[in-house]
Amino acid sequence: MSPTSGTDPDLTRKGRREQARSERKALEAAAAAQAARRRRMIQLGSVLGAVVVIVVVILVATSGGGSTAPSTGPTAKKEAATVSALLKGIPQSGNVLGNPNAPVTLQYFGDLECPICKEFTLGALPHVIEKYVRTGKLKIEYLSMETATREPETFRTQQIAAYAAGKQNLGWYFIETFYHEQGQEDSGYVTESYLQNIAQQVPGLNLPNWSAARNDPAFAEELKRDEQAVTQQGFTGTPSFLLGKTGGTLSKLENPSLEEPSDFESAINKLLA
Amino acid sequence: MSSRALRITMIAIATVGLGVASYLTYVHYSGIPPLCSAGGSCLEVQSSVYSKLAGVPVALMGLIGYIAILASLLIPESEESRLATMVFTVAGFGFSAYLTYRELFSIHAVCEWCASSAVMMTILAGLAIWRFLRGEPLPPGALARMEAADSAAPSLPVAGS
Repeated sequence: MSPTSGTDPDLTRKGRREQARSERKALEAAAAAQAARRRRMIQLGSVLGAVVVIVVVILVATSGGGSTAPSTGPTAKKEAATVSALLKGIPQSGNVLGNPNAPVTLQYFGDLECPICKEFTLGALPHVIEKYVRTGKLKIEYLSMETATREPETFRTQQIAAYAAGKQNLGWYFIETFYHEQGQEDSGYVTESYLQNIAQQVPGLNLPNWSAARNDPAFAEELKRDEQAVTQQGFTGTPSFLLGKTGGTLSKLENPSLEEPSDFESAINKLLA
Repeated sequence: MSSRALRITMIAIATVGLGVASYLTYVHYSGIPPLCSAGGSCLEVQSSVYSKLAGVPVALMGLIGYIAILASLLIPESEESRLATMVFTVAGFGFSAYLTYRELFSIHAVCEWCASSAVMMTILAGLAIWRFLRGEPLPPGALARMEAADSAAPSLPVAGS
């Protein structure tokens, strides 16, 4: 018997035990790694799900400023009364509010669905109208610039609806009422019945004439001119403004506060001085 | 990419993000217009109704978010720290996505600072998810030892051969 003949089987058994142990360890390690990976995937899925839910909740919560339906009833009456009180007695001509011979002109580029324009309408604008337009020092010309309205056709329809009211020198009533009762952005609230509802709130508006005027090709041309002015000035958002002495060259009014009238006041006072 | 290199990359990105968020927070509270090459877009975004959430400036929220991400990256690495980084960055990514949506579809102006922060948060979230899913990094030399063990395994004596 060779000296190794008795130990070989022992070594083989030992080797097999070692191999089995290492295989078992490898399997355990693989199972542990798989379990850890599964646990991580579950944790990642939970986090992603929670974040999606939170973002959706924030989106819904921060979109609650407006209504998806046209305003009716007491709310609409209240808004219409506010607009009437602001504009009553101030001359209008087309899309221009104020004395046509006012020494200073403000051009206001807006989109009727733009929520930031609504901020301006409810913020600085009433003070500017009361202090400068009502007193005959300033006239404000409303021009169209598409930003918030997603569908170009809707934009065209709503802006022309406002210009058509301007044909009866009531355009600013339409514009102000639209902004005051603005619906939730991207909700598709601007329908024919919505526009009719706004028009019905404009005091003294002859509805059949207004409806007929909406087909006037002159307004489509006016929108094109507005668009050219926007391109020429390089405006990127609404509301944007040009201000200057009437008949002279108007300059951009850069980043005025839309809530406080102070920026408008100082710029207008400088021109009036 | 080694675990250390990944961590350093993430710390570098989070530090730049912290700088951007600090600047936007400073601008918000000081009332000065932010430096912006895209006209008044940054000011438009910063002064919009969406610049605050429940009364808290979103710039401040971003600042707090970046501080949390950096803290989770600077503590000793563990399963929990990687989970924390992943949670913070994914939350930051979700918040950035919401703000970008508001910029594009509600404010209709894009602030370069906010956009750059959103890009950084997206990269951070991607890296953090990768880091979290791959788990504990292998100790140095472990891969070589495993390969050596694999190559040695077939030469083991087999009973009956």
